[in-house]
Amino acid sequence: MILFENVSKTYKNGTPALSHVSVNIEKGEFVFLVGASGSGKTTFLRLLLREEFPDQGRILEAGRDIASLPKWRVPYLRRNIGCVFQDFRLLPNKTVTENVAFALEVIGRPASTVASQVPQILELVGLGEKGHRLPHELSGGEQQRVAVARAFVNRPLILLADEPTGNLDPTNSESIMALLERINRTGTTVVMATHDQNMVNRMRRRVIELDHGEVVRDQVRGVYGVPEGVL
Amino acid sequence: MRNYLRYALRETLTNLWRNRMMTIAAVLTVAVSLSLVGSALLLRQSAAQASAQWQLGTRVTVWMAPTATSGEISSVHTQLRQLPIVKSCVFQSQYKDYLQSKSILPASEWTLLKPGDVPSSFICTPTVPNDAFTIQATFQHEPGVYMVTAPEQQIRQMNHTIRIVQVVFIVLAIVLMVSATVLILNTIRMAIFSRRREVSVMKLVGATNWFIRIPYITEGFVQGLLGSAVAMGAVWALKTWYPLHNEFSIGSSALWGTNIVVLLVGVLVGSVGSGIAIRRFLDV
Ligand SMILES: Nc1ncnc2c1ncn2[C@@H]1O[C@H](COP(=O)(O)OP(=O)(O)OP(=O)(O)O)[C@@H](O)[C@H]1O
Ligand SMILES: [Mg+2]
Repeated sequence: MILFENVSKTYKNGTPALSHVSVNIEKGEFVFLVGASGSGKTTFLRLLLREEFPDQGRILEAGRDIASLPKWRVPYLRRNIGCVFQDFRLLPNKTVTENVAFALEVIGRPASTVASQVPQILELVGLGEKGHRLPHELSGGEQQRVAVARAFVNRPLILLADEPTGNLDPTNSESIMALLERINRTGTTVVMATHDQNMVNRMRRRVIELDHGEVVRDQVRGVYGVPEGVL
Repeated sequence: MRNYLRYALRETLTNLWRNRMMTIAAVLTVAVSLSLVGSALLLRQSAAQASAQWQLGTRVTVWMAPTATSGEISSVHTQLRQLPIVKSCVFQSQYKDYLQSKSILPASEWTLLKPGDVPSSFICTPTVPNDAFTIQATFQHEPGVYMVTAPEQQIRQMNHTIRIVQVVFIVLAIVLMVSATVLILNTIRMAIFSRRREVSVMKLVGATNWFIRIPYITEGFVQGLLGSAVAMGAVWALKTWYPLHNEFSIGSSALWGTNIVVLLVGVLVGSVGSGIAIRRFLDV
């Protein structure tokens, strides 16, 4: 589903963010992206969205080289990728329902689709009763669930999450994780960048560790830190 | 599609309303600028009209001195007849002129006039209106000729004045149009800025570039359109309340033509303003 072939990226100011990264992520996998601050996790995700271009190497998504996509096709690429961020990025003057509906409306989905999909997805994230609230009337955990709902309402093939639990307490982090797992079980590929050690250790999912832009570990049932005895 | 039209319209109107002060400033600047363009065009058309009418009726009058001998008169007459640039000539005898002056002068003065005092004259039509000058130059110093008059001078003077007025109007209009473009650009920049969250979410979930851009393009378009609507009203009012008389008056087709130009320029100003704003501030 996602294939990085010897990908390197250096930002214009000369900061090396990724170097010689080769990774293959299958459809339906759940992958943690870990590493110290500045190790290149966000850059990895931005490359997948084609917000940045690699200097070297190839990135294939669903079998297609995304560098060869013409500019006007990029929005269609992004329709297949849902995104969740640490800071939620909800529209403060729209209600929960409107926030989720917005994601469908702006890609031209008919009103009937919007009317049927939005309540369904809000039910899935456990906010069926709170559709009329504004984001500031919700807890952080609830806001992040709205963001997940918005990212998933179009049923993307891939869900990218950049430190989705970074601003949440353990209980809320739990519920977001549970939600992402549930989404993963529908066959959606999930890539999640995180600093949350406990979470990674408990989940025992695939872990890709970056260090100064290099993949230093790619483990099928990994933990956050390097387990003793491995090195 | 219908959903999108509704969305784009709603966004456009909201943006216009949110930035209404800037919108009003932009619309008024467009309006003033285009009113100048419109007036310059009207002026030009009515001047052209007047010149054409005057030239159609251009008469060169060769006035013979009252004392001219009949030999001198017939010599001038033959020369006029032989000159190819003179189309036709009518001879006004002294007596005819004398009778004509009766209708011009007050009775008390006319009674003092004798046929011998009035000059005889040739009223000539040149083949081409522009030749009026040549005829004037040729016959001015012929023996027996008192003077030669042609309306050409008058036309030239008027056209000269009108050309200056026109240049002033057009220069002012261009300066104002540039400010209008900048104002429109700025309102749209503000609209984009106040919507930057929405725009970033739209990009993220895969809205197409045109979907994102069109409300802002429409915004500039509407501002240009409103401005030219006001200017069209001003041009129309100018023509209605200051009707130009006689040969200056222009038909309603000229008014329509002017208004169409005003409309097109207004829409152009709006589109250029929003186009630049989108290129600079909405890099999708
Ligand atoms: N837009 C940018 N322009 C220039 N340099 C950047 C940019 N974004 C990131 N970098 C640099 O690239 C490197 C990798 O950054 P990146 O954001 O990918 O790290 P990260 O792993 O997501 O870090 P964190 O855990 O703190 O979010 C860092 O050195 C960072 O300073
Ligand atoms: Mg990051």
